[in-house]
Amino acid sequence: MPNAAEQTSGSSEALLEVKPAELPRAALVGGNRSLSWITDKICGITEERAPAWWWWCFAAAAFVASFTVAGLTYLVATGVGVWGHRSPVNWGWDIINFVFWIGIGHAGTLISAILLLLRQKWRTSINRSAEAMTIFAVFCAAIYPLFHLGRVWYAWFLLPLPNSNEVWQNYRSPLEWDVFAIATYGTVSVLFWYVGMIPDLATLRDRFHAAGRGLRARIYGLLALGWRGSNRHWSNYEMAYLILAGLATPLVLSVHTIVSYDFAVSLIPGWHSTIFPPYFVAGAIFSGFGMVLTLVLPLRALYGLEDLITQHHIDCMCKVLLATGSMVGYAYVVEFLIAWYSANPYEGFGFINQAFGPYGWAYWVMIGCSVAVPQLFWSGKVRRNMVLVFILSLLVNLGMWCERSVIIVTSLSRDYLPSSWGFYSPSVVEIFTFFGTFGVFAVLFLLFIRFLPIMAVAELKASLPEAGPGARSGLPLAGSPGHARRSYGLMAAFESPKRVLLAAERVRDAGFRKWDCITPYPVRGLDRAMGIGRSRVPRGSLAGGIAGFCTGMVMIWFMDKLDYALAVGGKPFFSPLFAFPVSYELAILFAAFTTIGGMFCLNSLPKHYHPVLKSESIRRGTDDLFFIVIEKSDPRYDPARTRALLEGLGGAGIAELER
Amino acid sequence: MFPRAINSLPFQVIVYLCLLAGVATAGVNYYMTPKYTRVGYAPIQPVPYSHAKHVGELGLDCRYCHNTIDTAGSALPTAQTCMNCHSEITNSSPALATVRESFQSGVPIRWVRVNVMPSFVYFDHAVHVNRGVGCVECHGRVNRMEVVTQMQPMSMGFCLDCHRAPEWRLRDKKDVFNLDSQPIAALRGREAALRFAQDWNIKPTQDCSGCHR
Repeated sequence: MPNAAEQTSGSSEALLEVKPAELPRAALVGGNRSLSWITDKICGITEERAPAWWWWCFAAAAFVASFTVAGLTYLVATGVGVWGHRSPVNWGWDIINFVFWIGIGHAGTLISAILLLLRQKWRTSINRSAEAMTIFAVFCAAIYPLFHLGRVWYAWFLLPLPNSNEVWQNYRSPLEWDVFAIATYGTVSVLFWYVGMIPDLATLRDRFHAAGRGLRARIYGLLALGWRGSNRHWSNYEMAYLILAGLATPLVLSVHTIVSYDFAVSLIPGWHSTIFPPYFVAGAIFSGFGMVLTLVLPLRALYGLEDLITQHHIDCMCKVLLATGSMVGYAYVVEFLIAWYSANPYEGFGFINQAFGPYGWAYWVMIGCSVAVPQLFWSGKVRRNMVLVFILSLLVNLGMWCERSVIIVTSLSRDYLPSSWGFYSPSVVEIFTFFGTFGVFAVLFLLFIRFLPIMAVAELKASLPEAGPGARSGLPLAGSPGHARRSYGLMAAFESPKRVLLAAERVRDAGFRKWDCITPYPVRGLDRAMGIGRSRVPRGSLAGGIAGFCTGMVMIWFMDKLDYALAVGGKPFFSPLFAFPVSYELAILFAAFTTIGGMFCLNSLPKHYHPVLKSESIRRGTDDLFFIVIEKSDPRYDPARTRALLEGLGGAGIAELER
Repeated sequence: MFPRAINSLPFQVIVYLCLLAGVATAGVNYYMTPKYTRVGYAPIQPVPYSHAKHVGELGLDCRYCHNTIDTAGSALPTAQTCMNCHSEITNSSPALATVRESFQSGVPIRWVRVNVMPSFVYFDHAVHVNRGVGCVECHGRVNRMEVVTQMQPMSMGFCLDCHRAPEWRLRDKKDVFNLDSQPIAALRGREAALRFAQDWNIKPTQDCSGCHR
């Protein structure tokens, strides 16, 4: 089609003439900051002494956390009877709080994974703390199902481990699906968080080393696994990170879906409903974003992060709250519609009972906080008032807690038979345990902001508008003309990504094979400039996913059909339908393992000792400078001529690296 | 910052972790299962009663002392049962002082339980001994024991082994209390044992609620 080709070339010429107007986009980092400013700001939080408010908060949080410790100790010493559960309400605050915390845990992975896939770059300044929040929330959530077993030391019965009882788990139960969903979610969240943090840990390592704080440098160094910002590593790393995001997206949707199955698969009116999965997921994202705002707003004020968490970020989060809050409100309305339209008297009564029964107050708090409150975010004035946003984010979580309470307790307390109706109120032990989990969460979060980089430094740098030239002026590095005793190769510094891109193209064209670029963040286009092909990480991910799915299916078939065939509720011994949720979770888990394992293998990491890491200039390589390293083992390497080539390309501070 | 040798550390860590996991698995599998924790338990009883002498040498039937075992369930003998003979035989033996004391005061002897079945398990001796499960299957060769010792793990797996394939453990009715007898499957083959199971309508339950009532 020659016509089309002409048209495109013609239109591009026209575009050059017209110069289309730039769409005004909110800057992700305010104040026209440089690369090194971001490094200093975020790493400085970890490096400086803990401020007084941190110690006060930590002491208070530890005190609150002791309530959970006390409650659980008393429970274990006495028995689960100390909780207020009585027939018919056999699930009370334990499961309410479990769903509440798991729901909060959803925003982290959503921000890291789904927003990454949707190219929402504003996620970069909040994803690290949101992921940390996810992990700590999952930890708090896991307390409840484990301890409501009563004998928590038998929790391993939930896992498919060979045992003297010679029994296997019942994979027809959504409660068993839940075990796999939560365990996979926790594991993948931790991996995602840690892998994302490796480049920043390397930055901290080099900064502590330069500051002469050896112990901290070694600890961060061990955790950074020898990361050196090599572009060959970045290539695999970015691919692995993208795949992890792709894996975490269906995971985050499946986890709360499976949590909702705990209810939806049962027969209780008010639970037995197909709307539960989407409605639970929307509610989880809603409460998670509420919690992110609750945590991020004080951090922003205390550490002066207004340039990194801008009004644009807060607007975006408020809008997510508005959208998901409206979805939840829609689900409440549809539930009533279904109850009426199904003409099922029990279903109808269940919902009337929710609104006007003995627990009606919880229902109206839920409507007020989860449906009405987010509607305020239509107004820009509200979104710009930080104190108000903070208070509203607290109310959102109050509303979501009431929602779980309405679903679980109200439905259980009045089911089909009025003769078996009951009333539930929590015991003081339950109240202690729940109150304390906020302390547990706060202790973990305070430790996180004290010891780990609270924002994704490398990612923030990549999102700077001037990730073009002039990141920081000056190349204060002194080169050394001398020869190293046992030479590894030559290293040259470049002050901007653009320079290093041009230089890399030349080095590639000169026919070098064993060389690398060292960059503080993945520079777009550098892979092509270096002649690196597409990463091979995805092959491992595919193999891992298939292996995980097959493992799940074969395991459940072996356990529930072959080795321990037990008739439960007239269900078949094996069906791919009920084996699916667990196999699905295992597919994601195995794929995550092979993705990360494959990335490490391809990068031959961990490698804590490397000639590049020995050089003093690496400190700038994980901060704001760009380097090219040409190895001596390359057949085209010649000390004098290669040095001349690098000088000609504008490389500064050229030095020979010692092996 | 780190010496060159550290690059082999990750490999070493992986190897040692694998070794540790292997050792831990083997250790837990051996030392933390009833096969190890329960089997061989032989507490000292308040009376040095020798089953080897009374059953093995003198030929006393199990049911002489454990007299309700085939009708109502487990039973430990009262002092009266001992005194049936020991009022005449070795009636001044110091080993029997506890028995005579219990007989006179009416306070039962505090025997130490050897095979402990948890309270959440429903187990009835009668249905087992009346359907051809010999004492020896669970209790071992008590007729050779000076001190009664736990011989089987009594774990849920041990119960299920037999409940899943009872034919290997069934005996003729006359052999049930004979601790030196052989099961039908060993004497006349599996076919005969299966026929016995069918004739006696032996269909052991594998439902959870069969034992956890």
